Amino acid sequence: MSMADNNRYTVGISEHDQPGKLRRLIRFTTASWRLNLAGAMEFRLSFLLTVGTMMVNNIVWIIFWDMYFQRFSVLNGWTMQDVMMMWAAAAGGFGIMSIFFGNATRLASLIVTGQLDVYLAQPKPVLLNVLISRMSVSAIGDLLFAIFIFLAFGNVTLLGTIKFTAALLLSALIFIFFCVITGCLSFWLGNTEGLSFQLYNALLTFATYPTGIFKGFGRLVLFTVIPAGFISSMPVSLIREIDLNFLFGAVGMASALCVGGILIFYKGLRRYTSGNMIGLRR
Amino acid sequence: MRSIQVEQLEKVFQVKKKQAGLTGSLKALFKPQFTDKAAVEGITFSVEQGETVAFLGPNGAGKSTTIKMLTGILHPSSGTAEVLGCCPWTERSKLAYRIGSVFGQKSQLWYHLPPLDTFELMSRIYELRRNDYTERRDSLIERFELGPYLHTPVRKLSLGERMRCEIAASLLHRPQALFLDEPTIGLDAVVKQRIRELIVEMNREEGTTIFLTSHDAGDVEKLCDRAIVINHGGIVFDGQVEFMKQQFLTHKTVQLVLENDPGQLSLDGVAVLTRSGSRLTLSVDTGHTTIESVMSALMSSHRIVDMTVQDPPMEDIISRMYGTFRAKEAVM
Repeated sequence: MSMADNNRYTVGISEHDQPGKLRRLIRFTTASWRLNLAGAMEFRLSFLLTVGTMMVNNIVWIIFWDMYFQRFSVLNGWTMQDVMMMWAAAAGGFGIMSIFFGNATRLASLIVTGQLDVYLAQPKPVLLNVLISRMSVSAIGDLLFAIFIFLAFGNVTLLGTIKFTAALLLSALIFIFFCVITGCLSFWLGNTEGLSFQLYNALLTFATYPTGIFKGFGRLVLFTVIPAGFISSMPVSLIREIDLNFLFGAVGMASALCVGGILIFYKGLRRYTSGNMIGLRR
Repeated sequence: MRSIQVEQLEKVFQVKKKQAGLTGSLKALFKPQFTDKAAVEGITFSVEQGETVAFLGPNGAGKSTTIKMLTGILHPSSGTAEVLGCCPWTERSKLAYRIGSVFGQKSQLWYHLPPLDTFELMSRIYELRRNDYTERRDSLIERFELGPYLHTPVRKLSLGERMRCEIAASLLHRPQALFLDEPTIGLDAVVKQRIRELIVEMNREEGTTIFLTSHDAGDVEKLCDRAIVINHGGIVFDGQVEFMKQQFLTHKTVQLVLENDPGQLSLDGVAVLTRSGSRLTLSVDTGHTTIESVMSALMSSHRIVDMTVQDPPMEDIISRMYGTFRAKEAVM
């Protein structure tokens, strides 16, 4: 086979240099999600039990807050409905991250054990490819729980649904890219699995407490270093009524984390050292 | 046409130095010490399109690091490289559409799903036209005899079956160059042979450049025309496999059947490997003596019934080659 034939063959079978790149990127992304879900459903009973137990786990918290609000009707201006919507925004955002971008919380481990090789050898944006290559089954329970809470306690109107959807998306973006940034620390600091997990855990924990109970320095931290405040404030500052300052702040924080996360990841890739760990995609 | 062009490629890793034990760990925590370790030291070589090249070297020689730089996985510390006209680390994505890679220890197959599902995802990753994809997939399934495993989850496949699927997946997009990092590791002899045949077939039929690292002498002998040997990050041999055999072929194996038991045999440069009565296997050091003089000496005192002279297997040549490197290091 001549070189010319060879070139024609390779170019001929792939459409990568043709128009419609975004459409093909979306097809790749959805194909990856489909495979993740199919992989998760390989073990049917385990799949159903994991989803179910995560929902039960979240419901326990609802019972706890219900007991609280039976004694006290308001918490620093927050009603039972606000707390429920805060849980919906946090669980929903976390659920979206863990279902569709399931490797976000494992990034530090993937970097330090040299498991990015497979993604780097493929012609797709590395960060996207890594993030969408895993799905947490239990998080399906979190997302279903968030939707259930919204239907039970939320304002189920067109405007209410739009606001809730926006809250979920902002919350998911903050979760995903906060985890990306903390995971990327591994490029510079070595094994930061523990540190990255602690920071992610801090975000998750503080996202499920009403922002109103934090004052001064604590509040400052929650709107800067650990931006959980932007998630936990959504019920009062976005879902109940739109506070434009908060909305711009939340959008700004989500965008900054997004841009920062992508830049830091690609900057860090130059320092990636790979490794010899045996790896399988699961 | 050049497929791979590498010039003064170098990769230096920072390695933390730590004494063993908890005390060492504590010291390293407060006063860490790092040293630079050059995994690849300014190597230069080129590979023509369609060539089959074995990239050899002992463990830690820098083979995998080089292959990772050539596929865009690692950024080099210095030097340049071009693969199919692209710089691997700055044009990683563009290059990835045109190359395939198989890392024997890193699977790209979905562990819990059948290979067919991974093939489908690969078609999306490489943005293959549907018709071309199905045609290519079916041809690879037939050629690699994957029919019986297509619907079996990867976790239930044997290592050999998995590796055949792995290589087929990496060939779906018709790569012009295929990088294989230990593709036959852990496989049995029959499967190894089949995989080698398939790779040779792809090279002959599609002109795919093959660049392979392996510790398996059979891979080198059966697959490759040319060998590049690397040790401690530097190239120590670059030439035809046949020439490499000659250069490191310092011994020949002679199998003899004599009329009578020769008793104690003492010849300069000759070692008796096995003996059973009048049947002997000798190793002749051709650096010390010649086959001819050994035969003359034997024929003067014994009657030879049968005799064969063989080159030692490739395995021995590679072991000898690595042994030579270690001996040189010990002297230095």
